[in-house]
Amino acid sequence: MSYILLIESNGVLASLYTQALQRAGFRVARAVGAQSGITAADKQCPDIVILDIELAEHSGVEFLHEFRSYSEWQNIPVIINTALPPVRAQAVLGSLQRDFGITNMLYKPRLTLDDLVRTAQQALRQANPQ
Amino acid sequence: MGEAAGGQNERARALLISVAEQLKVPLTVIARQAELGLLTGGMAKVDATTIVSQTTTALTLVDSYLLGLELLQQQAQLELEPVSLSSLLTDVAHDLEQYAKSYQVHLEVAIAGKYGPIMGHSKGLKAALLSLGFALAEAQAAQEVQGPKRLVLGLHHTPHGTITGIYGNYQSLSVPAWRAALRLNGRARQPIRSLSASTGAGLFVADTIMQAMETRLRVGRYKGQQGLAATFLPSQQLQLV
Repeated sequence: MSYILLIESNGVLASLYTQALQRAGFRVARAVGAQSGITAADKQCPDIVILDIELAEHSGVEFLHEFRSYSEWQNIPVIINTALPPVRAQAVLGSLQRDFGITNMLYKPRLTLDDLVRTAQQALRQANPQ
Repeated sequence: MGEAAGGQNERARALLISVAEQLKVPLTVIARQAELGLLTGGMAKVDATTIVSQTTTALTLVDSYLLGLELLQQQAQLELEPVSLSSLLTDVAHDLEQYAKSYQVHLEVAIAGKYGPIMGHSKGLKAALLSLGFALAEAQAAQEVQGPKRLVLGLHHTPHGTITGIYGNYQSLSVPAWRAALRLNGRARQPIRSLSASTGAGLFVADTIMQAMETRLRVGRYKGQQGLAATFLPSQQLQLV
């Protein structure tokens, strides 16, 4: 069963996402921020990371810098799910999208649970073509 | 005195932006909770669908408002691109459908003839038309008219250019009423009572975005219906290509 690390500061949304992903057959661990995200990834290596950019204390970008600095985590698909409007998200991430190997950029207010599940499934398939 | 007033305005604007962004969070939660209710069967389909469409509308309005504000402050520049108005209108109709249905308003797309692209901003134009559509769908449902309630998303040629707009059975909508509404927006709770029982915010958000594309919403008629529409000139360069 594939394992998703969900880094989302809003507890209610995180719970809804978790339930939808679990219904689709994923195991999900949730972290509220960048620091706990790294700790969780260290505890068990995820197959996919779903990450918000706007977190408390340290941002999603800082998480990405640290996450990708470890060789064992360099090829893990990362999906960004943010409330930042797409144009602003692109401006914030810029070339980091390519540098950090971000698989998808999702816009949280419009993202349905179905879309989230489909995106995670697709990211997993692309990472493990068999 | 002027500086103090300016500072207050800036603070008020900043507060509004902050509130608008924050509103997206609970609205998103409500929409996703309803969706989960649908998936698990824990909520009746009608209820969940209504919640999702209402919250999606609210989220669209918030985003459109923020875009309008940025454009007013000239913090965002619209990068113009070729836009197919007919494709855009069809797209908008698709997004409006569920919302209009929840108000028992029938939606119709009426595109007369063929159209070349115009130079516009696809996302901005869609945001404007969606905001307009949501406001007019709700307004149509509130009109005391006989017969079925319908909204026409129209596109047609005139000697002045290509006109795209949203029309319905609004018997009291007039040019003076719209002009007065633009003056009363933000000052009166019902700036255009002939059209809308509420603030009609979506109308003004749409007009603001249109302004950034160097056009404005005007009262118009199409297929025997009254509504609000904007005129675009076809791109001569694109037509030569």
